[in-house]
Amino acid sequence: MALAALDLEINRGEVFGLLGPNGSGKTTFIRLLSGYLLPTAGRLEICGSDAVEQSLQARRKIGYVPEAAPVYGFMRVREFLAFMARLRGMEGRAVHDAVDRVIAALALEAVADKPARTLSRGYRQRTAIAQALVHDPELLILDEPVNGLDPRQIIEIRGLIRDLAGRHTVLMSSHVLGEVARTADRVGILLDGRLRGVRAMADTPDLEAWFLSLA
Amino acid sequence: MKLLGVLLRKELLATFGSPVGYTVAAVFLLVLGYTFSLTLFATKVANLIYIFHQMYVLTILLVPALTMRAFAEERRNDTLELLLTAPVGEVWIVLAKFLAVYGLVLAMYCGAMVYVGVLEAYGAPDWGPIASGSLALVCHAALIVAIGLLMSSLTENQVVAAALTLGASLMLWFADSVAYLLPPPFDVVVLNLSLIGHFRPMVTGSVFVSDIGYFVSGTLLALFLTTRRLVER
Repeated sequence: MALAALDLEINRGEVFGLLGPNGSGKTTFIRLLSGYLLPTAGRLEICGSDAVEQSLQARRKIGYVPEAAPVYGFMRVREFLAFMARLRGMEGRAVHDAVDRVIAALALEAVADKPARTLSRGYRQRTAIAQALVHDPELLILDEPVNGLDPRQIIEIRGLIRDLAGRHTVLMSSHVLGEVARTADRVGILLDGRLRGVRAMADTPDLEAWFLSLA
Repeated sequence: MKLLGVLLRKELLATFGSPVGYTVAAVFLLVLGYTFSLTLFATKVANLIYIFHQMYVLTILLVPALTMRAFAEERRNDTLELLLTAPVGEVWIVLAKFLAVYGLVLAMYCGAMVYVGVLEAYGAPDWGPIASGSLALVCHAALIVAIGLLMSSLTENQVVAAALTLGASLMLWFADSVAYLLPPPFDVVVLNLSLIGHFRPMVTGSVFVSDIGYFVSGTLLALFLTTRRLVER
């Protein structure tokens, strides 16, 4: 079993950081929340909808950015964002308005009409986040959002995640302590598929020491 | 249905945005034109039975190149995660991919219909076998495309997907040969699985509900199994 004894409630509007080493079960947990995997036991609720029994309803409330930040390379960025908006049930003028909104919010103007396969790693990550935000979801799930980015891009994505707090609930996973410390309001530590502790960052002056005490 | 339209548009963009579809269509029409000319000059008979058999074989050989990327590529590029976490039923994803590839194969077939015009212009073809043969090809293509999608859903390697599709199609093609080696009642069961056994009567002008039922039920079964595969992740 990849995950066990995981009892966690994420508050509306907060940025929750899920911290753990590689192979600790972070991606499995995130894939369960996103609906990509189905739990073999237990219960998952997304903003009031059961993730298994009301799967489609739950998925409408989620924006999900997988670790690889996948995009359809044969589409232009604007076209890709419009496709993802329509896939989430948006229609007509609302699609164009939503696409324009996320292009502006993520500073994608320079690449909006370029094929997605030509994007740099940084723009690709921003495009992946834009597709997750295009339908204005209640919960945004980010799996290792700064993996493979250069320092400037990391700072930009970190700022972006902080900006999203309040309007969206954000769950992000990372294996980098400093990243979670700088971005999250609360942090949970996942080790060997078990949630070993949850704390507010404000009450955790030394995240590294706390992590080592649990590991 | 709106979601099907959204997904189908994306699949058509992917299909016609890649050189694979054009290459397969070009090879298909080139080989068929060559065979048609040879057959017509050699036999001087105004029928398309031989051409329909050629199209049957070419469909088995070429369709794996069209279906192999359907799910395998999405899985390899992680875009399948985007599709499966969107609020859309898996059946629509499968149907959109099926319709896109099937549409391309039917378009290739339409290109081959120019031969009907040639026969009509210079001879007096029997329209019955041409109509039933066309129906046989339409049914045959649906089954091979559906098998291709099923195989593509099983792996993230496109070459493996193509090889599995080709293998499964050839096994069905030669099922009647295997049937002769089996004792009753297994021989009848295996004989009824034969692809060519259900194709041949239609292409020569005999349309049986059982033959159409074979292709339709086989197609639906393969699409159902593909959907289940996606649901099971």
